[in-house]
Amino acid sequence: MKKIIHLTVFLALVSAIAGGALAYANQLTAPIIQENNERAEKQVLLEMYPKAKVDDFEIMDVTVDNPTVNKIYSYENNYIFNMSVSGYKDGTTFLVAIDKDNGQITAFKAISNGDTKGIGSKVTESAFAESLIGKESNGELDTISGATVTSTPVIEGIHEASDIVAEID
Amino acid sequence: MNRFENFKAGLIKDNPVFGLYLGICSTLAITTTVNNAIGMGAAVIMVLVLSNMIISAIRKIVPDDIRIPVFIVIIATLVKIIQMLIEAYAPALNTSLGVFIPLIVVNCIILGRAEAFASKHGVLDSALDGIGMGLGYTVAVIAMSFIREVLSTGILNIVNPFNDAQVWLNVTLIPADYTIPLFNSPVGAFITFALLAAALSAYKTHADKKAEAKAKEVK
Repeated sequence: MKKIIHLTVFLALVSAIAGGALAYANQLTAPIIQENNERAEKQVLLEMYPKAKVDDFEIMDVTVDNPTVNKIYSYENNYIFNMSVSGYKDGTTFLVAIDKDNGQITAFKAISNGDTKGIGSKVTESAFAESLIGKESNGELDTISGATVTSTPVIEGIHEASDIVAEID
Repeated sequence: MNRFENFKAGLIKDNPVFGLYLGICSTLAITTTVNNAIGMGAAVIMVLVLSNMIISAIRKIVPDDIRIPVFIVIIATLVKIIQMLIEAYAPALNTSLGVFIPLIVVNCIILGRAEAFASKHGVLDSALDGIGMGLGYTVAVIAMSFIREVLSTGILNIVNPFNDAQVWLNVTLIPADYTIPLFNSPVGAFITFALLAAALSAYKTHADKKAEAKAKEVK
């Protein structure tokens, strides 16, 4: 009996010291790791604004009751939305930048599309992005004919983003 | 066996990977690039030296019945701490090594050395054993990854692990038309491993025969 108590106490003590060491290391590294992850996330925004620097993008600290919105960033006079919407198969993940004042779409970039190659993947082509830029984000936006199952959720996503911009202001 | 002999044994004759066949899982998986191999080797050396030292320091107070769980707790803690440090200061390395950093916990070399050496020897000897065995592992993975990377891509590329934009070395050794992509796949890993293990085995047999002949002459 005495031996069991000895063993238990010893193992508990070792585990407690180990736990303390881990907590200390975690406390030291957690902020740096978080910063690294944010940088990696923002890296994709550089494709939209090649001249910007990673630190120019500010993560907006707003809770949005919308599962399609992954992240919202603020850059110059724009809100940038990172959204994932459904589609024919795996859907689309895209970035859309909306002007804070007049609600115009200033930039659009599809990061990935998991739908049929050659049909749904048209949302990643520059023609679709060009058709959106300069338009009112809450106005009528053209879907891609022949790829409506993929492009309609993207348009709906932009409309939702537009509503959120109105809410933030 | 004196200290230096002990240290040297891990490097060549009792090389943990090609001589003792320990920790092979990670060697096969991460040896696609020399960069990965250097990072993994450094992580293993750190874990091995620290775990050997701690285990050797507490070897007299650890009850015999629960020594394995105690060793595992110590090793797992060290690995987790080193994983967090890598994630914080060398994120690129963390992405390319991925799950194989936490898997150092179950790398047989570390528990094997704790059980076979550190729990029976002093702190200094154990630290030296850790460095020797760790270097042995590192040399083994670097040798494998060098062969695999050069044969499969023709390019030897080494970057600063703390800043992946800083390229230290990038030389083309084989023209792109003559590369063998097979060596990038697991099959290539097995072939490379088998050839190197066979080479070490041949060297050991040769050395043994030489020693035997010498012994006969003396008689």
